[in-house]
Amino acid sequence: MPVFTVAYLLFLVAPILLLLVGSVGGAWTNTLLPEGFTTEWYRNVWDDGSFRRAFVVSLWVCLATCAATAAIGLPLAYGIYGAARRGVKIAARLLYLMPVAAPPLVLGFGFILVFSSDQLPFLGAPWLLVCGHVVLTLPYLMQTLVADMRHLDLGSLERAAESLGAGFAQRFFGVVVPSLRHSLASGLIMVAALSIGEFQLSNLIAGFLSRPYPVVLLQAFYGATGFACAATVILLALALLSGAAAGAAGRGRVGAVGGRP
Amino acid sequence: MSIAISGLEFRYSGSGAGVSGIDLDVPPGAFCAVIGPSGCGKTTLLQLVAGFLRPAAGRIALSGVDVADVPPKDRNVGVVFQNYALFPHMTALENVAYPLKLRGVPAAERRARAGEALEKAHLSAFAERRPGQLSGGQQQRVALARALVFRPRALLLDEPLSALDAAHRAAMRDEIRAVQREHGIATLHVTHDQEEALSIADMVAVMEGGKLLQLAPPRELYDRPVNRFVAGFVGHANLFDARVAGGMLETPVGPLATRDPLPPEGAAVTVLVRPEALEPISEAHVAEAVAKDDGALVLMGSVTRDRFLGSLRRFDLAVRGGTILGETSSQAPIVGVRVPPGAVRVLPPEA
Repeated sequence: MPVFTVAYLLFLVAPILLLLVGSVGGAWTNTLLPEGFTTEWYRNVWDDGSFRRAFVVSLWVCLATCAATAAIGLPLAYGIYGAARRGVKIAARLLYLMPVAAPPLVLGFGFILVFSSDQLPFLGAPWLLVCGHVVLTLPYLMQTLVADMRHLDLGSLERAAESLGAGFAQRFFGVVVPSLRHSLASGLIMVAALSIGEFQLSNLIAGFLSRPYPVVLLQAFYGATGFACAATVILLALALLSGAAAGAAGRGRVGAVGGRP
Repeated sequence: MSIAISGLEFRYSGSGAGVSGIDLDVPPGAFCAVIGPSGCGKTTLLQLVAGFLRPAAGRIALSGVDVADVPPKDRNVGVVFQNYALFPHMTALENVAYPLKLRGVPAAERRARAGEALEKAHLSAFAERRPGQLSGGQQQRVALARALVFRPRALLLDEPLSALDAAHRAAMRDEIRAVQREHGIATLHVTHDQEEALSIADMVAVMEGGKLLQLAPPRELYDRPVNRFVAGFVGHANLFDARVAGGMLETPVGPLATRDPLPPEGAAVTVLVRPEALEPISEAHVAEAVAKDDGALVLMGSVTRDRFLGSLRRFDLAVRGGTILGETSSQAPIVGVRVPPGAVRVLPPEA
């Protein structure tokens, strides 16, 4: 067993190690490892205007996607959890989980078809990219929220608040939202990580001046190796940062619930 | 601080289950337990009083005020839920202070009042803990403190003890009763545990199929159940179909004499004999048991099941015509029972 574990870890880590090595290495032709150490590649990425712009676009799209999924996801999840009829619940669940099953490529073609028409000529607009990311990431946030609502038995918490004298707004902002803060945070961090790394849909619908980082990154692969490595490591660092934050939020969540009988 | 319910009707739209024709008065300071099998409507009744469900007809008055059109948040009713429903993001103190905060009590005062409530519940040391860091019994006490801190008009308890283990349950039972007495608040306590109901309540309401069958103090409920269902649900019971013949009650096990007033000759009735009211006959005392002349029916037979329950022993005695359930503290071998007239209750005829 340990042999397999080590082999698997190696399989996971090796490409990343090679990327790291390549991003700081000098000449790398016909050798196993590059020769020399340089930070030139990172400087090149920084100096490249299109990469800088793409980095900023990615961050903005990520933030906007997080804000929009939170604003849509929280009330929607609340509505689905509270829906009285079983049929409604199942239908809503299917609907919001559908983007997980549909390949982003299909979604992308759909966007192109609809938004390149004369009536809706919005293809290439940055806000449309945000819409696309929202569609792709919302299921993950919803899933996290609805699961947490069930776990907490939010319905009985609300009834308790109601019996203690809380009106709807007081319940929603005083009990529902704070009770869900951990799952909301970890869900949003997942949304952020997905949005930052999203390539398929973005590649199809992003405008030339609002291409996010992964789309621009593709261009680098056609050029210098070290440059491509450095650019990829930057994306990786962004994604890992989100992952680490998600992990931290997850731990906070377990700590809060742990010890419950 | 009373609860008055009259002619209450409610039907769930889907299943058609619900409650009907409920009349129930809980005077100020009284503790009323509502018992019945699952699905009997006891929890529905509680939700109607709390306002989570709207009755189709009937009247609910709290402290004399009709609350038909009052939403739950304005009813001023303290509710303790089965799963306690403490807010996970608040400390014990914040949980207890929450209803005061909603009522606009200034921060310093509500901290003081919530702190006092926790102190009474012996939880001062746990004030800053979150519910997840408290044991079941502690969560229960926080929930009770939270339900009482705003001086509600009534207290509703929805099976609050069912999640506790047996050892804590008895202690919590006494604690709830003590707190309720101190506040002098009308309380409705829903439970499926009839022993709990008998031991804690001033009055017990037995429900079945959405109807209130009987409302009586525990002693009366036990001694004078209104029908077969109540007799069988509350405590253990021997129930016999009987016919009145020649001043006696003809049952499958033999003619029984009773001290209860006899229904007219030929009437079909149900007879109740509580197991502990029987007089067991041990092998050594057969002769004197038979010789004693007090109108008791002597039934000889063999013990088919013998259950040792610590201070008590419960046995099934197979006799001619049926099986008798008996209780005794004696450990001697049992060969029969005497059924004295004082043990024989005639239940009112079923409507």
